[in-house]
Amino acid sequence: MSELKETLKAQIIEQLNLEDLTPADIQDDMPLFGEGLGLDSIDALEFIVLLEQFYGIKLADPSEGKAVFSSVNSLAEFIEKNKK
Amino acid sequence: MAIIPIYIAPIALISPLGNDLEDHKIALAKNLSGIATQPKVGFGDENWPQAKINTLPEKNRFDHLLNIGLDKIAEKFESSLLEHESTLVIISSTKGNLDLLPLNPFDGIFEMVKTKWNLKHQPILISNACISGVVAIQKAADYLRFQKFHQVIVLGIDVLSDFVTYGFQSLFALSDEPCKPYDHNRKGINLGEAFGAVLLTKDANQSNIVFHQAITSNDANHISGPSRTGEGLYRSIRKLFEVTGVKASDIAFISAHGTATLYNDDMESQAFHRSELTNTPTFSLKGYFGHTLGAAGVIETIASLFCLQDGIAYKSLGFEEEGTTCAMHICRENTKTTSKFALKTASGFGGGNAALLMEIKS
Amino acid sequence: MHIPFCYINPYTIKSSSGYTFQLQEEESDFKTHYKALEIEYPKFYKMDRLSKMAFIALNHLTQEIEFDQFEDDEIHMIFGNTSASTFVDQLFSESYSLQKSPSPSLFVYTLPNILTGELAIFKKWYGENCFYVCESFDPILFADQIAFAFQKGAKGVLCGWVESIGNKHEALMFFVKNPVSELEIIELYNNLEK
Repeated sequence: MSELKETLKAQIIEQLNLEDLTPADIQDDMPLFGEGLGLDSIDALEFIVLLEQFYGIKLADPSEGKAVFSSVNSLAEFIEKNKK
Repeated sequence: MAIIPIYIAPIALISPLGNDLEDHKIALAKNLSGIATQPKVGFGDENWPQAKINTLPEKNRFDHLLNIGLDKIAEKFESSLLEHESTLVIISSTKGNLDLLPLNPFDGIFEMVKTKWNLKHQPILISNACISGVVAIQKAADYLRFQKFHQVIVLGIDVLSDFVTYGFQSLFALSDEPCKPYDHNRKGINLGEAFGAVLLTKDANQSNIVFHQAITSNDANHISGPSRTGEGLYRSIRKLFEVTGVKASDIAFISAHGTATLYNDDMESQAFHRSELTNTPTFSLKGYFGHTLGAAGVIETIASLFCLQDGIAYKSLGFEEEGTTCAMHICRENTKTTSKFALKTASGFGGGNAALLMEIKS
Repeated sequence: MHIPFCYINPYTIKSSSGYTFQLQEEESDFKTHYKALEIEYPKFYKMDRLSKMAFIALNHLTQEIEFDQFEDDEIHMIFGNTSASTFVDQLFSESYSLQKSPSPSLFVYTLPNILTGELAIFKKWYGENCFYVCESFDPILFADQIAFAFQKGAKGVLCGWVESIGNKHEALMFFVKNPVSELEIIELYNNLEK
């Protein structure tokens, strides 16, 4: 699980062009949207692309993503549960 | 400063609803929709409802549609007018011919228009997202007011493509049903394709509808999401009223943007509320034409001209149940109007908003 | 007349304030240019190249122009190029044809006017703006549009010719507080030692 989280952080930085950050800057429970990393609605859609591209998980409805994308912890849990 | 009156007249309209102005006047009055389900057009072969012109070939739809449109206009005008020193052409298109990719999708468009009509002046092309058409009309009036031109022809055109469909699909902005602008259950947009053209001129014999002014304002908020408070649209309308001296209570109807996405329609409801237009009959034409991007501002202005001529506001197709933050007067049927002023608005990516005012002279 | 300007390409920045910046190697993402600004604006990394160049050029113009003296809707923007958003169009088209997943963040940049949106967001500018696609650099168009803007109440006009296609990435941005002639614009364009 912790390996998955580290991979995720690198992927988030790469996919969302967060070039000022390193994986160490993202804490597992840090809110990704709003105050935390300051991500926005387009980033949320890029998360959907990321899930599909790297983990083969399809999210049909972006509103499902809200809870899933709230932190690295929640993302990792969701991937563990839904990974094929 | 004395303002020179500028007249505006529709000259061509091609969409799934027909090939000329008369076809459209009838179809719109009857509330017919050009939207139909197109099989396997999505990225994962999904079926999406679209307003597709079925007579266009699959390849180079843009060039074909542009050619047909240019020919239609040429039939209406003496070639001496098109070739005249005092004629300018302004084109509104967001994407051009995407079949040209990886080459520039706008390659060849200037040459095509220029040689076909033997124009004296280089055509001007505006690519300003979904407000392009309204901006093109605004610029046409500027050229007439501040320069030596006597007539400006504004063309609005965009066509359906995998590129744009996949793009809006990736934004989760497409509706799998015919779109429902301002409705409680709206799910997103349907894409469409169209060609439209209007004439702006100083010649009062060409039209009894006066173009007053158009104003644009940026939201300064987000590149793809509209301002939650409708700030840019509100500012455009407020300034439009300021410079023209027209009041909210003078407006017969609003031909609004109404894409049927959750946020766009909501934003408009806020802007209209702030502009004291809550009770003004309002409709979106996206339920008829789909969202035609660079063509939208032009073809929806044409429809507004029809409304002024007929003294009605069209039924806002797809609307059943109120569902915006601020109340709106959405037309449930074709609605008789009493005043002579029409307000056309548009909003788009890049934060653009535009408001345009026209008046019919008795 | 002195026209404040900034010119930028992947090797160089040159502005009328006397600032020059020269890189030995091409840097396509303009990261070093951005770092040299010493501005904290993480959104920069998400921008396409048109927006990045415009963002950097604008921030150099602020050395010479106090933009704060204007109301938030008094500055109009007039931008143009020949390539529209072709560069990003290609990337987005590859995202679905090669990588098999259309990228939403690329798609939103497949409109050239997004760059004026980026500048408006950064500066909180609510004024008019328009993006033109032209066959080649068009000084007459700029001179006309600048004149119209002032007729209609603009107090300043920010202009830009911003190109990004193939291996050509360059931007010329300039700011005027009064109408200028097409000859002055041609002179500005031709005198850039590119």
